[in-house]
Amino acid sequence: MFSNTQNLIKKLLQLAAVFGFLMFLMFPGCKEGPKEKIRFAVAPKTNANPFWLTVKAGAEQAAKESGVKIIWKGPAEETDIAGQVAIIEDFLNKRVDALVMAACDAKALVPTVKKAVDAGIPVITIDSDVDSDLPLTFIATDNILGGKKAAQILSNLIGGKGEVGLIPFIPGAATSIMREKGFKDEISKYPDIELVSTLYCYSDAARGMSVTEDMLTSHPDLSGIFTANEPGAAGCVQALKSLGFAGKVKLVAFDSGPTEIEELKKGNIQALIVQNPYNMGYLGVKAAVDAVHGKSVEKRIDTGVTVVTMENFNEPEIQKILFPLK
Amino acid sequence: MNIKAFKKILINKRQSYILFFERLTPFFSLVIMFLILGFLSPYFFTLNNLLTIGIQVSVIAIMAIGQTFVIISAGIDLSVGSVLALSGIISAVLMRGGCPTSLAIIAGIGVGSFCGFINGFIITRGKIAPFIITLGMMGIARGLALIITGGNPVFGLPENFSFLGNGRIFGIPVPIIIMSIIVVIAYLFLSRHILGRYTYAIGSNVEAARLSGIDINRYNTAVYIISGMLAGIAGVLLTSRLVTGQPTAGTGYELDTIAAVVIGGASLMGGQGTIIGTIIGAFIMATLRNGCNLLNISAFWQLIIIGAVIILAVYYDQVRRRHSATLGG
Repeated sequence: MFSNTQNLIKKLLQLAAVFGFLMFLMFPGCKEGPKEKIRFAVAPKTNANPFWLTVKAGAEQAAKESGVKIIWKGPAEETDIAGQVAIIEDFLNKRVDALVMAACDAKALVPTVKKAVDAGIPVITIDSDVDSDLPLTFIATDNILGGKKAAQILSNLIGGKGEVGLIPFIPGAATSIMREKGFKDEISKYPDIELVSTLYCYSDAARGMSVTEDMLTSHPDLSGIFTANEPGAAGCVQALKSLGFAGKVKLVAFDSGPTEIEELKKGNIQALIVQNPYNMGYLGVKAAVDAVHGKSVEKRIDTGVTVVTMENFNEPEIQKILFPLK
Repeated sequence: MNIKAFKKILINKRQSYILFFERLTPFFSLVIMFLILGFLSPYFFTLNNLLTIGIQVSVIAIMAIGQTFVIISAGIDLSVGSVLALSGIISAVLMRGGCPTSLAIIAGIGVGSFCGFINGFIITRGKIAPFIITLGMMGIARGLALIITGGNPVFGLPENFSFLGNGRIFGIPVPIIIMSIIVVIAYLFLSRHILGRYTYAIGSNVEAARLSGIDINRYNTAVYIISGMLAGIAGVLLTSRLVTGQPTAGTGYELDTIAAVVIGGASLMGGQGTIIGTIIGAFIMATLRNGCNLLNISAFWQLIIIGAVIILAVYYDQVRRRHSATLGG
């Protein structure tokens, strides 16, 4: 293949250089030295959004307090179930001492959780559970209650009558289903309120905007909308603004991302249903510490939901829930 | 439609009518879909809804135009969705940092073009399958967008920037105007300019194109730059429409653009495809989504309906193609 040895050596050197460069690229990722202290893996549904960054802050705080080390890694998209399975399998191979995870899919992650438990690694689920009894505890928002609270505040805002729309996020995702269920159950108790449209935003702000436009086209008399997560709310509020419906169509949104808080202040969102993601990360790691030290943990820990409107916005407890990182 | 095909149409009039109408199939599918949806939903045929569809299609359509060039050249660009996000984020971050709006827009589009250039350069110089290189770029561009923002959306953009995505000129939404201008320019480039003709030549038979003296590397790279640039424009437009930079924007859009191009009659083997076809393809998908939403069809069924329409459209197109071939078209 090569005309002479010199050529061959040149090729080999090139190969070595490329290989060396790749190693160099990987170097910053390899901070973990030999095993000294207790290491926990924390596997979020995705790295990229304010919600999970707050979970991370809580987890880091708990780790600092307890003197443990945490490794944080999630897939780029929360729909990437296979990606999360791979990440957790890598964690297991690294022999972490405990796994704190939020399942991208309640069923698909069951075998992975089983693998961890079989290997003697305690598993704690936060935010999104798996369909299994194997995890020691599940620490999360009561999402059905969150959906109910959203229905109650929305009904108050529209005076107990009118047409409303619902924008859940991913069809089939556990948290989305529960918020949807809570909202639908509660709203059906109001005889003069009709849920006329349910359209999914697929956790994509652009889709959230499109479905809101379509909802308003087919139901021009809409009085209120509930968006079940942050990207949906960001898209929905933008559609309301650009169509001149902002403030007229009452908007209740789940979570408290920076965009949502900004729009609440401007009066384009009337109420936020706020979870306590900081607590999920914090209590998740704390429960893992207890588990590793052989202490018992409660099977279900509720981190609570809070309804935030401009009326209670400035109260100190609310500020602490909205801005846990400050 | 290339010159050879056009001459043939002149030669045989009777056959030409058949060919002409068959070539319009995607267009007729769209018209039929419009009629059905108009019949089913009283809100479908309102001016507002038609303009809404136009706005909703604009981002995908602009990217799909770039994808058309790539697919005609027998390549594929999987990175467009991520490049869209990266370009949008770059513009948003610059604007937030106090950079003038126009400069930030140019920078965003520039970054998109640069990603396209890297794609094209490695594909042509390294002789590596476009699928792999653009798949790599898909990850890199998404990763950069996430790193730059730390995973957070970028908000607090200047009000004047919102005009691109949400403004109107003489009652026509700006995204529709931008899309129309790009359609005209791309149409002229593809059908009249040497770049367009070389793109078809490279896609039809790369060896023949090389032997006839076409600088393959140069024109093939140009095709990916166009795709990256248009993804950049789409990214800036989407950021303006949302008035926030979303690092996760555009996930899965690459598949929507490919579907639009193929529904519009292009062949994934290269050498075939038109801008008008792609636009119709993009409209078919956007109209279907809009119609399903207006009719409040369940999200689960929407996925099936859109999937089935893609398969039907492409299947019918293949049948038509074989039929035309026997007719001598």
